Amino acid sequence: MSVETFDRALFAFTIGSHIIIVSVSISIILFITILEGLFLFRREHRYSELIYRLKRVFVISFGVGTASGIVMAVELVNLFPGFMTLVSETGAINLFYAEVFAFFLETIVLVVYVYFEGAYKWKYSNLVFSSLILLGTLLSAVFITLVNAWMNTPNGFNISVYEATGKVTGVSPWAPFLTSSGFSEVVHVTTTTVFAGVMVWCAYFSYKYLRERDSANKILYGVMVKITSISSIVAIILAGVTGSGEMSTLLSNQQLKYAALDANYFPGTNVPERLFGSLVNGLFVGGIQIPGLQSLLATVETGIKVLPGLSQFPSADWPPLWVHTTFDIMVTGGLLLGLFLFILFILFLTKRNLLKYRWLLWTQVAAGLSALVVYEIGWVTDEVGRQPWIVYNVMTVSKAANYSSGQLAPGYFIIAFYLVLIPATFYFYDRIFHTIPESSLHNRKRGVEH
Amino acid sequence: MLNINFLFYANFAIFSIFAAMILTELMGSILLLLNWKKYRGPVLEYVVPVWEITGTFGAFWVVTADFAYPPILIPVASIFSFAIMVFLILFVARNSTISFAEFIRKRGWLDERKLYVGYALSSIFLGLVLLVILSGIIGGNGVNLSAFRFSSLNWLYLPSGYLFIVGALLLIVGFAPVFYRVPSLSKLSLLFVAFGIIVSTLSFAMFRNWTLSPYVLVSDVIAILIPVLYNVNNVAAIVSNKIVFISLLSVDIFSLNFMVYPTAFGGVLRVDSITNTGLLESSFIVLTVVGSIIVVALIALYAIAVARKVKEPSSIRF
Repeated sequence: MSVETFDRALFAFTIGSHIIIVSVSISIILFITILEGLFLFRREHRYSELIYRLKRVFVISFGVGTASGIVMAVELVNLFPGFMTLVSETGAINLFYAEVFAFFLETIVLVVYVYFEGAYKWKYSNLVFSSLILLGTLLSAVFITLVNAWMNTPNGFNISVYEATGKVTGVSPWAPFLTSSGFSEVVHVTTTTVFAGVMVWCAYFSYKYLRERDSANKILYGVMVKITSISSIVAIILAGVTGSGEMSTLLSNQQLKYAALDANYFPGTNVPERLFGSLVNGLFVGGIQIPGLQSLLATVETGIKVLPGLSQFPSADWPPLWVHTTFDIMVTGGLLLGLFLFILFILFLTKRNLLKYRWLLWTQVAAGLSALVVYEIGWVTDEVGRQPWIVYNVMTVSKAANYSSGQLAPGYFIIAFYLVLIPATFYFYDRIFHTIPESSLHNRKRGVEH
Repeated sequence: MLNINFLFYANFAIFSIFAAMILTELMGSILLLLNWKKYRGPVLEYVVPVWEITGTFGAFWVVTADFAYPPILIPVASIFSFAIMVFLILFVARNSTISFAEFIRKRGWLDERKLYVGYALSSIFLGLVLLVILSGIIGGNGVNLSAFRFSSLNWLYLPSGYLFIVGALLLIVGFAPVFYRVPSLSKLSLLFVAFGIIVSTLSFAMFRNWTLSPYVLVSDVIAILIPVLYNVNNVAAIVSNKIVFISLLSVDIFSLNFMVYPTAFGGVLRVDSITNTGLLESSFIVLTVVGSIIVVALIALYAIAVARKVKEPSSIRF
């Protein structure tokens, strides 16, 4: 494996691991905030108990997430110094800088919320603190996604001069906050991240509900199954709507990537939507074709009638064409999950008790794991779809990479370490959630008894 | 007109706070390894809530360094690639062990103590890696800047590097009884800090070909004052106050900025020549001002909570 390929693989692995923790963390603090709201108005023991347990899980998640986030930030410098040099010479660095302050918001409020509960007597203080932590985590996600949006649609400097001379000129420091793909990417990434996280927790609580024998614990799991199910339904609606917007933005801004994702070889009108198919001699054949559907969707959403094709671009600039398959897996997976959640929604509307349907709970378990897979595949599609560029049409990955062999040995160790760390983190989530010797103290402080 | 490199000083100030915070964790780590039962209480009472904030200051420093010195990123990434990756592994180990340790209950072989020992060891090794990198940045030890290479043999060949590390370790051990209030070790503290100052100053002089700025006295005076005042009954409580101590240590570290400015890497690199300027510098100032207001407000929120001392009983177990 060449050093450049190693750089790619290591960073892909790190970010692939990191987004799991991020997704799970954001959803925990979302649940805590919902529970704080419920507790404030109902003052029931079960909510207080769940807050107590989830707060501890969140601290672990935060600790591991922070570390892997910093690993990612430093790896960007270490593995792709050419990229970070460009970022630092343009306003894109402002996005990283703004993210640090979001991180401070999350961290310091978390310390006050977890370790100094009761220091602030105001009735709404716990709800406000958990909401601020949620805001901090979401803002961190927003700023880092804006960096990714800038990589897809770079702005804020004179690109043609940079391409000709390698010099950064005409810097507009605030422009990267407002890239053409920024809004659509931020809303889609944020909603899918929350969606994947709530689905994973939904799977966990459904499984625990099915397996638990202790009636007190079963009640708590039941509460969480309901909260996570409702959150999943809301999240998939938002993810679906924003996903459609994301494709429209792609069509307007990154036509080559669009053509690769939809496997369009030639540009044209009345283009069919091809689902799956096989890659034969560099072209997709077979699969399910729905005549005119792709053009119809594109025209309705963007007004664009002539859709781009790969043949319009030099083949050296094409991403690996298997991204069409990953894209289809992502979309199909999302649709199937949506269908399942629609059934769930109907059950809610008809006031059925979800907890009575064992098949439904087992399906929740499978759906939660599938959601995580779909989320990871979505990320792979987005990143591989931009290849060979690290900054679209400006800098290739090979130009940005670090060719020092010094990182190889510790890099392999990082991979091995993460392979242990991620399962260990989930193991500790479960273990901490069940270890509750002092929760009665916490509940008394909140004025509720079991 | 006075031309001040704002980005350098801002970045160095953030580094000083981060370094002061990580040093207080190293002090605690050493005490935990020395006597778990005796020092568990005072060390964990401080470290458990604050380790998250230390990490955030670390990220703050890294990002402002990216912001300040774009032309040096490629050389630094190449020169320190191995050390940086080791640092990352240790950082993840530190965070995961302490967050797991906080809420663990003994089941099987794994318990709180083992995880905190893991935290202490990873923190200490993380500190050592950081000191090796810093010795390279200050004195150019082991660094070939033009070839983008780091040579461990060259690093070992120059005594200034390991004297720098030994000096720092002596200071850490010396400061530990003050910060964690261990009166029985107060005299030893003075001895260790005095030796630490001598060894560190010697290493500074060796980094600079035996020409040393008189500004080093500022750092030396602050460093020796800390254990001296701790031995004076009336002011011991003030100097060992966490906020006062971290502030003093941050100022102490900040006063050493002459070690890397105006030149770094053993006088080879002029810092002004690699610092971001123009519109980006002004946007940095705007973001710094806005961000600092937010951070100060958040720290005030934290300080008020600490002052009220209403700790959740379950969060710290003694």
